[in-house]
Amino acid sequence: MTFSLFFQSLINGLNLGATYALIALGYTMVYGIIRMINFAHGDFIMIGAYTLFYTVPLMVDSGMPAWLAVAAAIVVCAIVGVLVETFAYRPVRKAGPMSALITALAMSIFLQNLAMVLFGSRPHNVSAIFSLPSVSVAGVTVSLNVVLTIVIGLAIMLGLQLFVQKTKLGKAMRAVPQDRDASTLMGINVNRIITVTFAIGSALAAVAALMYCTTYPRVTNDMGTTMGMKAFIAAVLGGIGVIPGAMLGGVLVGLIEVFVRLFAPGWYEAVTYATLIVILLVKPSGILGRNTGEKV
Amino acid sequence: MKKKNKVLAAALAGAMSISLLAGCSSSAQQGGTSSAASDSSAAEESSSTTAQSSTAASGEEDNVIRIGAIGPMTGGSAIYGEGAQNAIEMAVEEINADDSSPYTIEIVNGGEIADDAQDARQAMNAYNLVMADNPEALVGSFFSTVTLPIAEQAAVDNMLLVATGATNVDVTADKPTVFRDCFIDPYQGRMAALFVQSEGYSQVAVIYANDDDYSNGLKDAFIENCEALGIEVVYEGQCTTTDTDYTSQLSQVVASGAEFLYYPCFQDTVPLLVSQARSAGFTGAIMGGDGWDSSDTTGLESQFENCYFTNHYSSEDTSEAVQNFVTKYTETYGTESLNACASLYYDAIYMIYQAARNGGGTDTASLVEGMTGMTFTGVGGTFTLDENGDPQKQIVFNTFVDGEVQWFETLGPDGEVVASRES
Repeated sequence: MTFSLFFQSLINGLNLGATYALIALGYTMVYGIIRMINFAHGDFIMIGAYTLFYTVPLMVDSGMPAWLAVAAAIVVCAIVGVLVETFAYRPVRKAGPMSALITALAMSIFLQNLAMVLFGSRPHNVSAIFSLPSVSVAGVTVSLNVVLTIVIGLAIMLGLQLFVQKTKLGKAMRAVPQDRDASTLMGINVNRIITVTFAIGSALAAVAALMYCTTYPRVTNDMGTTMGMKAFIAAVLGGIGVIPGAMLGGVLVGLIEVFVRLFAPGWYEAVTYATLIVILLVKPSGILGRNTGEKV
Repeated sequence: MKKKNKVLAAALAGAMSISLLAGCSSSAQQGGTSSAASDSSAAEESSSTTAQSSTAASGEEDNVIRIGAIGPMTGGSAIYGEGAQNAIEMAVEEINADDSSPYTIEIVNGGEIADDAQDARQAMNAYNLVMADNPEALVGSFFSTVTLPIAEQAAVDNMLLVATGATNVDVTADKPTVFRDCFIDPYQGRMAALFVQSEGYSQVAVIYANDDDYSNGLKDAFIENCEALGIEVVYEGQCTTTDTDYTSQLSQVVASGAEFLYYPCFQDTVPLLVSQARSAGFTGAIMGGDGWDSSDTTGLESQFENCYFTNHYSSEDTSEAVQNFVTKYTETYGTESLNACASLYYDAIYMIYQAARNGGGTDTASLVEGMTGMTFTGVGGTFTLDENGDPQKQIVFNTFVDGEVQWFETLGPDGEVVASRES
């Protein structure tokens, strides 16, 4: 393998991985707080992508910069996330993890069908939000759009980590999963914290939609399923519930997929899943997961 | 407040159960397959009785040709189904409105195309759905993977099938009641290779979907003919029909120094491939088969420069049949769904109509008799069905200018230029 091919693949892998990582963050944050796997998270990306599809031309037509569409997507996704949490997940929260899981799956199907009714089942092309040129460095063609999305992704992950570690709200978010009753006694409004978590997780999905659409400018009503599955694997690989784990897992899955496809295109999914199985056999809590027993 | 929440939760739960029910109806269909499959021997019996009863019916001169249609109405290629549905309605209206025509046409299943969702398993559900209405002929489906099981079953049931876009060789092989109105993969792949030669490229790359019969068929034919013509295939990469990321394969294509990329896959992934190819620095020509028809080029106009695809017809073709079809279609349905799929379903209905006139009856046996070896003139040009039921017909090369499909040239069955933009 030549150096240029290696470097090109590294960039491609980081790009794909950063998108997975951002989606995985959404899974991991919700799991970290209420121990629930929000299977509808992938469909929040679909909602973000459709928002971009409809708002980018609006922004361009009205003479505003196209990136403002991202703000619209973030707002729409956050609202949908909060609505889903309030009206679908909160009522069944006390009924146990199985009910929550089924509700999440139903929500995923509901959102996909709703999108099919509202937007049709045909794929749409999302207009470019950034139109930066490609540059050639040492025989490698690197799209500056891709570099920009990687930078945005990294900045958001860093910001999120700082938010959770340094702010009062972040502290409350870390306190709730440790002991919900004690958190309530300490004056933390648990429901509000969960709502905020969903809002942040869904907003991340909107940014993930932006990153996804920059490289893969296509939106379909079922795009969330595959994306969500890959990101879920990334979250589990890195250690679900741990924020740096989601980032590491996402980047790893992205790199594995790209490099395996270089040599054996048909095998990339098999290798991804095999890696997951091996990691889970060696370290069931994931690469960065803490090995604490599940609280009953 | 709490009460309000409960009401809203109930409403949401209600909405979700509706969506679940919607899911159920399709799974109920799925459940139907197995029972229908186990009934296939019964179906066989009933179809033979159908044939008898319809013979009796034609004895009574009912003069109605009952046709069942199958096509991709949902999924990534729903745009094809949309065109097909419109085209069938158009053809049926034309034939039924003509007072001099000896036969009228009725589309079973309430005039709707049965949805195969571009899925081989759903195909059998769709087949059983239309067969339940005792049709005398079937039209469809558009994709090879979907049509292969339908053709197998139609051959067993002795049902006349006119496949529309299914270009895989095996669709009609050894099936006397199965015909088609499109060219076959080896032919399309050979024409693509001839095109490469005439444009003077010497190094080509191929990326194909290994989970798809159509893509494999085109890839094999293209590579075989390239090698025969002395064109070097420098890279051969795989993907799947559901992939969205091609960056690995494309960086290999660029590294291999290919000047031409053949991508025999479907339109739903074409914009993804083309945009990724261009951002990976691939500046050469990219070409596909008829699966590229109706590719969405919105926002990718400059990336689609120097891209080509082979197709069954071009709306810019100046022949009278094509222009009549295009004008009438555009008046009623607009241009968005005006694709080759629409033209093929349109021709298929007319072929069955002509078969009824040739065979002198509307029962399946007469239709098959009338169809065998028929020479037909329609939107897809004039062609004769060979011993397999495949047409030897012209092929259209299209390119893209400012994101719009533009007719490039039309080649005849032996690679001769029938018409071209320059001439």
